[in-house]
Amino acid sequence: MPTGRRPAAPPVGVFWWFVAPFALLTLVFGVWPIVLAVQTSFTASATALQPNAKWVGWANYAVLWSDPIFANALQRTLLYTGLAVFSTIVAALLYALLLQSVWIGRGRLFFKVAVFLPVVTPDIAGYVVWRWLYDQSFGAINTALDALGLPLFGGIASTSTVLGAVMVAELWHHVGFYVVIFWANLALCDKGQSEAAQMDGANAWQHFWHVLLPQLRPALLVNSVYALIQYLKTFTVVAVMTKGGPNETTNFVSYYAYQLFDQGRYGEATAMATVLFALILLLSALAMHFQVRSRLP
Amino acid sequence: MMRPAHLLLRGLAYGTALLVTFVCLYPFFWMLVSAFRTSKAILASPLRPWPESLSLSVLSELAEIGGTPLWVYAGNSVLITTASTVLGILVTAVGAYALVRRPDFWLFRAFRLGFLATIMYPYMLLVIPVYIVMYKIGLLGSYTGIVLFLAVGPIQFFLFEQFFQTMPKSVLEAAVVDGATEWQILFRVVLPMAMPVVATAAIITFLLNWSQWLPILVVSKSPATYTLPVALLNLNGELGVNFQGIMAMSVLTTLPVILFFLLAQRRVMSGMTAGAVKG
Repeated sequence: MPTGRRPAAPPVGVFWWFVAPFALLTLVFGVWPIVLAVQTSFTASATALQPNAKWVGWANYAVLWSDPIFANALQRTLLYTGLAVFSTIVAALLYALLLQSVWIGRGRLFFKVAVFLPVVTPDIAGYVVWRWLYDQSFGAINTALDALGLPLFGGIASTSTVLGAVMVAELWHHVGFYVVIFWANLALCDKGQSEAAQMDGANAWQHFWHVLLPQLRPALLVNSVYALIQYLKTFTVVAVMTKGGPNETTNFVSYYAYQLFDQGRYGEATAMATVLFALILLLSALAMHFQVRSRLP
Repeated sequence: MMRPAHLLLRGLAYGTALLVTFVCLYPFFWMLVSAFRTSKAILASPLRPWPESLSLSVLSELAEIGGTPLWVYAGNSVLITTASTVLGILVTAVGAYALVRRPDFWLFRAFRLGFLATIMYPYMLLVIPVYIVMYKIGLLGSYTGIVLFLAVGPIQFFLFEQFFQTMPKSVLEAAVVDGATEWQILFRVVLPMAMPVVATAAIITFLLNWSQWLPILVVSKSPATYTLPVALLNLNGELGVNFQGIMAMSVLTTLPVILFFLLAQRRVMSGMTAGAVKG
């Protein structure tokens, strides 16, 4: 028997059995539905669910192209995603830096657990509570503002504040995840470099900009990609808190597509889903190009 | 002795951290207190930091939601989450192991890419074609359909993949030299070694699947297979707001996962973010 030598790759045979259950679940509940969805996007909505659906080519995509609501929803989604990604990254980075700074000693773990708690909270429950926190009559927020003599906050009832209100609830739910990733990256940063910078008399800003930030590239990249994909798909918060309103201000692409499904406009809905899927795949491919492991929370 | 400037900075740092923590935790606190207060009392003073009484009378109001008893939803949550976690961990661990052992095999490589693509698909739009699939294979409205759909997820897969990739080759080689079959290697060597990551993945899967709602809502034919989050969504959408009931239901949905998380917080936090930043 050959010893001390690296054995040749084992025959595939038995590994088929190991992969089979996993592959079966992925194919039946992942790949097949996606193929069905893409296929449906090329058929007429009225016949989409029938065995011999009527093929209409790119007609559904053409309808989308000239649909002002879709154009608005897409624009709104991109704007919201941009703002939310930026806020999430900045807030998470600042908070991780604060928690790992020399100024925080005791209580570090407590602060970390507290900011992560909303991440594992069922999103439905979290958003239901926020929906009521914003409420004009039951809500704690407006009561507190009123008590302090401050102007009331429109929350999810007003078109001018609803995007901010939704974003705050989403930040609350998600930001802990990004804080912990920055935290993990910060823990890996080279202490020697920081000490050297201090010896050279670098101020806090120089230290952050020239020493820490370059070392935080991995976390910055990963967090940006996660956040981008996550906010592009924003859905639950809208379904629970606003139903796309008021006056369509929170009608994002994913929610609009879901509404079309509800109305039986399967062709257009799946066309929209395919567009969003393509967008996310494109972004992920770009990310992989930068050697990022694509993984979704 | 600290310099006054340092003391000030330290105070500012703690002040900020405490403020952020307050914002993070207040919704939980408010939810818990409101669950004990009548809707009338909350309307009168929404900010009151403790309930008028610690009565559990709201539970009798919630005994039935939409014609289905509360314990059915709770039982469904436990059953569906546990079953999908156990199945998912088993299937994913063994599957990921095989993909890592033969990464060069073209079909495996293609399959891995296919899996990566499916997790990119906007899940809220995936559930509708899943509805059609469930209909075609006759699993609509069944626990089996829900559990099978929830079983496979990305985080579990990546945790296992990363673990198996970093597992020392020498262990496998020794087993091969000893004449062990691949089945023996898997069950006697690899899986016992993987126990810590199995535990981490199981806890995380449990937390994630407990929170699931859309697939369950879509695959269900009636409230008989709803879980707590889905029942909560239903309750919140009802006309004639039962505010206290909604808060109590939120507590019931949230409390189990919070306790679970607090018990295993290190594992959960490091597991959910593992591999994101490679050292």
